[in-house]
Amino acid sequence: MVQAAIAAPVLIAIMLAAGGRRLPRPVVDAVATGTILAVTVLLGIVLATALRHPVVTWLGGWPPRGGVSVGIPLVADPMSAGLALLVAVLTLAALVFSWRYLVEVQAIYHALMLLFTAAMCAFVLTGDLFDAFVFFELMSVIAYVLTGYKAEEPRTVHGALNFGVINSLGAYVTLMGIGLLYARTGQLNFAAMGARLPGQDHRLVTVAFALVCTGFLVKAATAPFHFWLADAHAVAPTPVCVLFSGVMVELGVYAIARTYWATFAGAVPGARPALAFLGVVTALLGGVMCVLQRHVKRLLAYSTVSHVGVILLGVAALDHDSLAGAAYYLLGHAGVKSALFIAAGTLLNRFETLDERELHGRGLRLRASGAVFLVGGLGLAGVPPSGLWAGKAVMDEAAQRAGWWWAAPVGVVASALTAGAVLRVWLRVFRGVGPSGGGTAEHEDSETGPRMSRLPWTMLTPGVILAGGAVLLGLIPGLLHGVSHAAGLFVDHDGYVSAVLSGGAWHAASAPLHPWTAAGLVGGAAGVVLAAVVAVLGLHQPVPRILRPVIDRLRAAHSGHVGEYAAWLTAGVALFGLLLFTA
Amino acid sequence: MSRRTRFAVFAVGAAGLVILFVLAAFRLPDFGGRFHPYGERAVTSAIAEKTKNVVSSVNFDQRAFDTVGEELILFASALGAVILLRMVRREREEEAGEHGYGPADVFDALRLTGYLLLPVTLLVGVYIVAHGHLSPGGGFQGGVVLGTALHLLYLTGDYPALARLRPVPVFESAEALGAGAFVVLGLAGAGLLIPMNSVVGLEVGCAFVLVLAKFFEQALLVRTDDAGTEDS
Repeated sequence: MVQAAIAAPVLIAIMLAAGGRRLPRPVVDAVATGTILAVTVLLGIVLATALRHPVVTWLGGWPPRGGVSVGIPLVADPMSAGLALLVAVLTLAALVFSWRYLVEVQAIYHALMLLFTAAMCAFVLTGDLFDAFVFFELMSVIAYVLTGYKAEEPRTVHGALNFGVINSLGAYVTLMGIGLLYARTGQLNFAAMGARLPGQDHRLVTVAFALVCTGFLVKAATAPFHFWLADAHAVAPTPVCVLFSGVMVELGVYAIARTYWATFAGAVPGARPALAFLGVVTALLGGVMCVLQRHVKRLLAYSTVSHVGVILLGVAALDHDSLAGAAYYLLGHAGVKSALFIAAGTLLNRFETLDERELHGRGLRLRASGAVFLVGGLGLAGVPPSGLWAGKAVMDEAAQRAGWWWAAPVGVVASALTAGAVLRVWLRVFRGVGPSGGGTAEHEDSETGPRMSRLPWTMLTPGVILAGGAVLLGLIPGLLHGVSHAAGLFVDHDGYVSAVLSGGAWHAASAPLHPWTAAGLVGGAAGVVLAAVVAVLGLHQPVPRILRPVIDRLRAAHSGHVGEYAAWLTAGVALFGLLLFTA
Repeated sequence: MSRRTRFAVFAVGAAGLVILFVLAAFRLPDFGGRFHPYGERAVTSAIAEKTKNVVSSVNFDQRAFDTVGEELILFASALGAVILLRMVRREREEEAGEHGYGPADVFDALRLTGYLLLPVTLLVGVYIVAHGHLSPGGGFQGGVVLGTALHLLYLTGDYPALARLRPVPVFESAEALGAGAFVVLGLAGAGLLIPMNSVVGLEVGCAFVLVLAKFFEQALLVRTDDAGTEDS
């Protein structure tokens, strides 16, 4: 079942690549969408099974003998199966949106999207560190190609190149870390490697953790590894951005969490403060950069940076409840951010520009897209009962118990800045509020080809459903319970090792989560109010003079120069290592 | 960021990386130790399956899923090269109908070497693929040899012959066929070393042909572009 969910999109992708050029476009669309629909159903069944009992499948018939194996397992626990299902659902939305949106693309685009889905699913489901690296590479290669799909424009090539160089550098560092671990333990399996760590030198273990995590931190766009993200998102086709921001970037955080709990649990004492520090810096930096943007896709990209920082902070607490909150937050963010990108795509389609000032008041008639921006902005602000709100309430409570009083305010600031920026766009573009003018008349490719008289439903429905669903996530009690159960299994290192290596039982005590607390509601309200303030101030006020030097410096640092990004990456590895050893 | 600052940031980071690696090198196992946990496991498993070449057993049997992933990376890269290096509108306009694909001036010695080596290299490629389950080599290595062998014609300067020998759509389909067959074989289960080696050889060879073809095309295009700017 699990293998089929990975193999089916691969095989269909290969067929589309081989013969798709002879098929008419509607057939290609139907085949690709139908495949992903089937994968979604399959993964839904896998998730339902995993909720009852996690499934470990040894590929090629190489089960472990006496606790060791030479094969590769796929491990479908509720967390990995749930994430794979999220990948499939978002791909479905992106493909439906592409029907009428990307008119000029050929079957190779669909083949790449299917391969991308398979790669992401294999990446989350594998129980082997090196195998995870292989599929990390596969997913990255496809991501570079999809980013550079509109290769006509120099900007696109630039963004895709930055993405490719920085992600590949990160992957090299991860591979070096895998090499260190492999040389000492002789294992590549997460569980088997973890079982051999206790006797190892603690310095080796810490260095290996730092190096292995680097590639994942690059993927998760954690400061100072985050520079590639905005460059890539600004130029990638909109349906591709849906997958990038909705789930690919978050998979970096998932990989860090998986590596920690399956292999390093308890062996790296510095992991908690080090990851928390990076999470806080990323959440705040992303928020500030988000407010400063006027290109809508770039703005949304920095908002992703910020929110993934919050998710990393939730994971960094290394605690069951906090992880459940982070997973819930991820789910809510995926829905909201995908919907926002789709709505931004409709703007690009109508007006051939994504400059917020140039678009002033032009979205008055795009009611559905306007509604998505409003709901999405409120969702990012953390309005109850959105998924972001529920996740954050749970994370904050866990942080409070751990003595991290500063975690809640950091989350509120990140929400307020990013949601404020989105609400500002809503006010300016869809309501025509604020002074007009000051736009650059620079036009972008509409990505669509000939202009349509009105927006077709395929370009509106996915966004409306995703945004609506994400805002109501906190109301589903069964989901809260399921996520808590998934997190409970995820943090159970001994259970994971015994289930993978000896087919043992893997049960976890899961406490129900309660987001409906006074503190949670206050946090949500604070986020919404502050976001409104940020939005209104952003419409009318220029940046205060006192902040200008700092902001100029920040802008200058995000220069698009790939050499600078690489220098930051190197320094980031050193910084992360230093934090792991000293904190 | 100025050049000097950039270098300073990099230098600090690189120094940190060096320190990290030194820290990781404490308590290394003794030189020439007898502890080879993975090697022993892999060899035992390969022999238990009666496979003669342990490396092939690891690649195509024990860790076949990794190999599927790597195959797909190559497949996706070749697709990417085809998409990203397609002749974009701007280049088509600038080119103004002038092609530079005729036979080029090269030394006779080079031409002769290319023509002579082409069949030999193809044969060596087939040999390496075919003996992958017995001796060092296999689909990946042999495929690379096969893919590059065709481009010996590029050295001879005979671009029309190269274009005839290498119809891109055929190679695209063959590459997809190889990749698909490999995934199917991988799902079918263990012990299919010979067919697996062959389809990997097919896939890798075609992928290399595609990637090289696209890069050479770009190189040739750039040359005509240069000529165009000189004229104007």
